[in-house]
Amino acid sequence: MNGAPTAGGKGATVLEVRGLVKTYPGVEALRGVDFNVREGEVHCLLGANGAGKSTLIKCVSGVVEPTAGEILVDGEPLPERDTAAALGRGIATIYQELDLVEELSVAQNIFLGHEPRRGPLLDLGRMRGEASALLTRLGHEKIDPRLPLAALRPAARQAVSIARALSYDARVLIMDEPSAILDAGEVETLFGVVRRLTAEGVGVVYISHRLDEIRRIGDRVTVLADGATAADGIAADTSTDELVRLMVGRKVDRLYPDRPTGVGEVLLEARDIKALPAVRGVSFEVRAGEVLGIGGLVGSGRSELLRAICGLDPRETGEVTLAGKRLPPNRPDRAIAAGLGLAPEDRKSQGLLLDWSLTKNVSLADLGRFTHGLLDVRGERAAVRDQLRSLNTVPDDPDRRAGELSGGNQQKVVLARWLLRECRVLLLDEPTRGVDIPSKAEIYRIVTELAERGLGVVLVSSELEELAGICTRVLVMREGELVADLDGAKTTERELLAYAVVPTAGPDLIEEVA
Amino acid sequence: MSYAIALRKRFGALQFQEYALALVVIALFVAGAILKPDTFPTWDNVRNMLTQASIVGVLAVGMTFVIATSGIDLSVGSMVAAAGVFAGTMAEPSGGTFIFIVAAIAFAALLGAVNATAITFGRVVPFIATLAMLSIARGLALIFNDKLPVGLLNLNGGSFGDPSPFSLLWFGTGKIIGIPVSVWIFLGIVIAGWVVLNRTRYGRHVVAVGGNREAARIAGVPVRRVIFSVYVLSGLLAGIATVLLCARLGSASPVSGELYELDAIGAVVIGGTSLAGGRATMVGTFLGVLTFALIFSLMTQLDLSTEIQQVTKGAIVLGAVLLQRPEVRY
Repeated sequence: MNGAPTAGGKGATVLEVRGLVKTYPGVEALRGVDFNVREGEVHCLLGANGAGKSTLIKCVSGVVEPTAGEILVDGEPLPERDTAAALGRGIATIYQELDLVEELSVAQNIFLGHEPRRGPLLDLGRMRGEASALLTRLGHEKIDPRLPLAALRPAARQAVSIARALSYDARVLIMDEPSAILDAGEVETLFGVVRRLTAEGVGVVYISHRLDEIRRIGDRVTVLADGATAADGIAADTSTDELVRLMVGRKVDRLYPDRPTGVGEVLLEARDIKALPAVRGVSFEVRAGEVLGIGGLVGSGRSELLRAICGLDPRETGEVTLAGKRLPPNRPDRAIAAGLGLAPEDRKSQGLLLDWSLTKNVSLADLGRFTHGLLDVRGERAAVRDQLRSLNTVPDDPDRRAGELSGGNQQKVVLARWLLRECRVLLLDEPTRGVDIPSKAEIYRIVTELAERGLGVVLVSSELEELAGICTRVLVMREGELVADLDGAKTTERELLAYAVVPTAGPDLIEEVA
Repeated sequence: MSYAIALRKRFGALQFQEYALALVVIALFVAGAILKPDTFPTWDNVRNMLTQASIVGVLAVGMTFVIATSGIDLSVGSMVAAAGVFAGTMAEPSGGTFIFIVAAIAFAALLGAVNATAITFGRVVPFIATLAMLSIARGLALIFNDKLPVGLLNLNGGSFGDPSPFSLLWFGTGKIIGIPVSVWIFLGIVIAGWVVLNRTRYGRHVVAVGGNREAARIAGVPVRRVIFSVYVLSGLLAGIATVLLCARLGSASPVSGELYELDAIGAVVIGGTSLAGGRATMVGTFLGVLTFALIFSLMTQLDLSTEIQQVTKGAIVLGAVLLQRPEVRY
């Protein structure tokens, strides 16, 4: 180890990021991030969803080109948007969705793209030998390099992915939520691998939402909030309270309308919904006039819960009733006929037919209304136009193609569909994702109005702030289960985050942050 | 914004293509009139062309629904042969036209239902399921009457030249106010197809399923039922095409209907219905059928060989698909 060791650090700085800025049209993903990794340390990267962690990784690994700022490896700038150069300089990334090929063998996966060759032919013997050596180095000597990847469990696949990174002589290994797919025992094995690597001098960037893990494995922590560095390389044993405070970042207030008042009878009742592995026994009810938030981290099972309720995905157990009527599983058409509506997570791929006119998109769920023998296309168009106008959709021309609208207006088109349908319970999955601030405010206003009109609204969101801002009640999901049921008017973003990230939210911690 | 773009915005890309194809049809007709002024622009020739077109035209209407769901039905040609021989062996001894028609349509619809079952419940991709049916139905057509055609002249009810109304041959050679019965039937089915596709909930659902299956499901469209139905519909229309073909020929041949599926698919595609689904036009299909009929007639009158006709047909399909490529990529 060379270089002067500093507090909590281990060796010389390998990777350094200075003032990194990345803007997408309409969005500032990174607004000046500083970050550095030293040899042999575990540097944890922390931040709420959308704080800019993924963008930072993508810039560093050469997937996207930063708008401004510097990325230095050993003090030398890294060529921008050049994944091969990043790998060549020893910066390797293991993504959440492991980029492995199921049909290939373990050894082939490890050397995919840089296979050892003898002349023009693959040197299979050497490939297997080196794969074995790499896996042994990770303490996973039991994995046979000849096995097809499909035969391996997630934890073993992750080891293969790490071995692949090492095959590039990685000096910095970036791991994006490596523990998300692992159970407790496998996490221990992963920690073993991380410790072996750091002992060899590899710097590890460890991204996780689990604060307890960070304390156990990390040396230093960098916290991102709203695309900026909220804390740069502080000690990993910083208190949970402090870390949560740093993650919350800036506040925007005037965004939210007053909460609806006057809660009515139960409309939707979900009992013991299981859709394994994502949803593991969830029960809740939605009343008329309620805006019920469901918070939690990405991957906590929220979208899957909504899809299981609608019958879009099969459920192992569970009963759903809407206004006293049982909704059969796997029959979204029946659920919709009974008065359920879903604005799905991904508007473009699930919510809308982008090539279709707004008219056809809005009326699709309720064509029966316009059928008098044949479809009354004029009446259809007029009704859709009125609905779009009432939501201030821009443009409100019902002949425009849905694909031409901005994200916020596309969301309004989806809402218009369910308003036209006069649904009783509306499930909104990330309705403000990718939506600009003014449109967000409008969507909040619409949601509140709907609840006041007596609809039951369920709002799934990764933006905890918005849940605390508009919901009358907030449930928090973690690892497929509900872990909290909170009064929306009283809860705070920090409290929600604490429930979402802490494995066992003991009463003392809640007191600490509340 | 240029005028052309404004036009497209106003009418949409689909109608734009329909107009373009209408121009092609007119151009082909004018070309024929110039090259063969004595024989081409005559009432007889037009009537012939339409009669020729009616069989593939009926199949193309069903194919439009199938392709609108982003599916394909390769088996329609074989189904025509199988349904014809089947219905012929059922009806020929007793001489019942009604039995023939019912048997042909019911049998073809049944084969369509087999396709539908394999695709919706067996989750076989439509290309493979209907490719299998192409082979199965052709085999059945050969088995039913020991590889021999079935003569249907018993089902005449009058002389061959002047069949009595509603006898089988009347459907192939009879006329109503000077227009062949088969052409009336073809036009009726095209209009009915247009109405169902554009003016009913079912038609909207069909196109939605092809455009974005998941979005359609989330909007409450019974996706599986819709997909099932289009293959049954395609079979049913193949049954009607069977009646028209057998009525014209006066026999049911086990080797009839070969490559009809390609003509039907070609007509649908040059009409502007997207093979990827989500976009379907019955007017386009009709114009596509007319285009093929005009080319066939024109080239026959110019004494060009069938090989050249095939090359031309293929080139037109390819050209039409190239023109349809989306301008905007998402």
